[in-house]
Amino acid sequence: MEGLAVTYSLNLLYQCALLALVALGLAIVFGQLGIMNMAHGEFLMLGAYAMVVVQRVGLPLWLGVPLAALACAVIALVVERILIRPLAHRPFDTLLATWGLGILMRKSVEAVFGRGYQSIDHGWTGTLEVVGAPYPAYRLGLMAAVAVALGVLAWWYRRSPAGARVQAMVANPGLAEAMGLNTRRLAMWAFVAGSVCAGIAGALLAPLVRIEPAMGMDWLLASFFVLVVGGLGTLGGLLAGAALIGGTQVAVSSALDATWGTVAVLLLAILFLWRRPNGLVARA
Amino acid sequence: MAWWRAPEVFGPWLLLAAALVAAPTLGDDYLAYQLGLYLLYGLVAQGIALTWGRCGFLPLGQALFFGLGAYVSGLVLKAAEVHSAWWAAWPLAVALPAGLDWGLARVLFARRSESGPFFSLITLALAMLGFQFANQWSSVTGGFNGLGGIPDLPGFDRYTTLYWLIAGIVLAATAGWVWLDRMPLGTLWRAVAEQENRLQFFGFATDRLKALAFGLSGALGGLAGAIYAPHQGLVTPQATGFQLSAELLIWAAVGGRGNSSPYGALLGAVGIGWLSATLRQSFVYWEVMVALLFIVVVLRHPGGAVALAAPLWRQLARRNGDEPAVAAPAMPGGTDDETLAFEGVRVQQSGVTILDGLDLVISTRGVHGLIGPNGAGKTSSFNAMSARLPVTAGSIRWRGRCLAGLTADAVARLGIGRKSQIPSIFPTMSVRDHLRIAIWAQRASGLDLLRGRTQRWRTPLPDTLTAELPFLSTQADRAAGELSQGQRQMLELVLTFLTEPRLLLLDEPCAGLSTHETAQQLALIERTVASLRATALLIEHDFAAVERLATQVHVLHQGRLLVIGTLAELQADEAVQRVYAGGRK
Repeated sequence: MEGLAVTYSLNLLYQCALLALVALGLAIVFGQLGIMNMAHGEFLMLGAYAMVVVQRVGLPLWLGVPLAALACAVIALVVERILIRPLAHRPFDTLLATWGLGILMRKSVEAVFGRGYQSIDHGWTGTLEVVGAPYPAYRLGLMAAVAVALGVLAWWYRRSPAGARVQAMVANPGLAEAMGLNTRRLAMWAFVAGSVCAGIAGALLAPLVRIEPAMGMDWLLASFFVLVVGGLGTLGGLLAGAALIGGTQVAVSSALDATWGTVAVLLLAILFLWRRPNGLVARA
Repeated sequence: MAWWRAPEVFGPWLLLAAALVAAPTLGDDYLAYQLGLYLLYGLVAQGIALTWGRCGFLPLGQALFFGLGAYVSGLVLKAAEVHSAWWAAWPLAVALPAGLDWGLARVLFARRSESGPFFSLITLALAMLGFQFANQWSSVTGGFNGLGGIPDLPGFDRYTTLYWLIAGIVLAATAGWVWLDRMPLGTLWRAVAEQENRLQFFGFATDRLKALAFGLSGALGGLAGAIYAPHQGLVTPQATGFQLSAELLIWAAVGGRGNSSPYGALLGAVGIGWLSATLRQSFVYWEVMVALLFIVVVLRHPGGAVALAAPLWRQLARRNGDEPAVAAPAMPGGTDDETLAFEGVRVQQSGVTILDGLDLVISTRGVHGLIGPNGAGKTSSFNAMSARLPVTAGSIRWRGRCLAGLTADAVARLGIGRKSQIPSIFPTMSVRDHLRIAIWAQRASGLDLLRGRTQRWRTPLPDTLTAELPFLSTQADRAAGELSQGQRQMLELVLTFLTEPRLLLLDEPCAGLSTHETAQQLALIERTVASLRATALLIEHDFAAVERLATQVHVLHQGRLLVIGTLAELQADEAVQRVYAGGRK
């Protein structure tokens, strides 16, 4: 019985870590730049396909992670120049254009790899004992990686000069520019960073989820819900959102089924947009 | 204007009618059958054109409402084969999606004065959820294989006569779309997309306007779905999914937005939809190309395909002659008690105290000055009144009524008009439309917004204003975004006057004006406030302006009232001198 409770809490933690990992990229692009990147899920999907490519070629699987980061960085750079920058003052059209970009990426991958599911044959099936309950080692490793990554990011954002520049740009773009910050370059790198985050998340998730061209949509929505509930602009909000969304999802899914889990999450998001539009943790 | 005098309106419609009649003669029954299917999709796309092209909010899950209509219609048709009483439930195929849309929009737009991505993503999530339900709830929907064996609509054969019903519905929907667009309601929808804040300050409940548009687009989707079920004889979960939603949006966008968007939506659905259905199988990269086309349209040619034909219709458009004006309903006049009272109002945001226990009572009519150094809380006191800043303590009362918890539009309807610091106008709309909207504000009932006659409403006020500001009539057809800064300031001031408010909040109405223009603007304020017998609060840094208009001046400092008096008294006041010299109290 105690083992069951441990497994249950680990599942909950795992779900939250997963959501935080996936939502991180969108939190950067939407939360900091105010750009709703509708192709966020597709960057994640590309990351997962990077693993598929590495596996097909026969290289060691871990190489998929840098490949995902590289591919997403290159694409994000091009996209930023062609789509994001020219539409800087038309946020509505940015939404449409990135939505189109998402379709383009989906359809391109579909044309190359086909519609079917892909899977990653990894050998990492080992388990570790946590307080007497066996749990998949890969999941535990992933949770640890997310915790470390978020910690480092928070430290960097608060302490490093680059983090300070980003904070300045977010707080007051005009003033930041007047003080000599190249906000256009900063915004570009923030967009690239967000997209690379999505790609890496996709590569790390690849062994755990079904891989298909339309997989990104679910993750885009999940990330969005996390941000709606948690609030934009802070790491605390990201974690709070991931905890609430992940918790609801796991609780309702195990009590009823996965579809009702989705319903509950959607209702929660609508409720927040209606009664508490700034989320749990509002930007200071 | 009567329709026969507007060839640019009925011309395209007649062309569409001719095309729909001629199309079946060009091929066999199968051609008409296929055309019917894409016309149904075109109907759904027309709904998208209404919300996105007109009101400026983007639904990403429109297929949900199409699918919902299709499932309801299919279930009812099957049940009606057994027992004809089920027919009574058929209208639900339209009513359910419409109601769902309307309710959703009311909830989502209630607290937000912008349309942003939130709405879009929620609709996308709903469509994906609808797909899951349709898949899982197999006892009702038939699950993955779909709901099959749906009988024909009585009196129509799906392969021959049903086409004519679809063509009729498409023509009616198009006519309805164009008609609504030309009514005052259509003008307001366009204004919502351009500057929602301004409409709320006029007193329009913009969330209701948006909900109405979304409800109508849901009804169109539901209607298309309701016919789709007997047309195909089968409804599968794909009819509700996000794939179809994405395609519908592409069709609407590539077809075109703007005045001709109901035609653009049909064109996009029939043109691209049909091509896709045939080319998708044989040419792997077809859909990649469609996605590229979509991106190019968004980036380079937002008007879409029909925008190419727009100059043609403009040529056809005749200038409408001056039609007899109709007197607009009178606004209620003032009451005995026209007191504005701030009592210990505190406003805090992000840890900064903006208003720190502001006490302010204004009970005499006429212009009252509100001055103070930057950051004193002048504009914030206006924002606290019109629900743009949350009041954390204290109360604001107007005519004895507490303003707490009211939305910006409700505050405006209590007779509080507001002129913003930076002129807020509808950039692409004509000066004429601006004046119309201001006259409709608070005067027009829901029904009035559906009458062409309302377009011709006049009040005595604009005539006197036009005499003073000739650009209001000489440039009536110009887009307001093309006016000079000074003209924009004057336009917004005039608009605020036209709603005949009892209390005017004027935030630096002379900012950015030349000396000559400033004098003109001040004269306008003086005379209009007097003729309306209203109260006005004037924020101004220009002391000469304050001296000329205001008998009483209130000095704010650090979120509190410092002194009241005439300007001469204040200039002699030591506390005021210290504040303006940069000292602390």
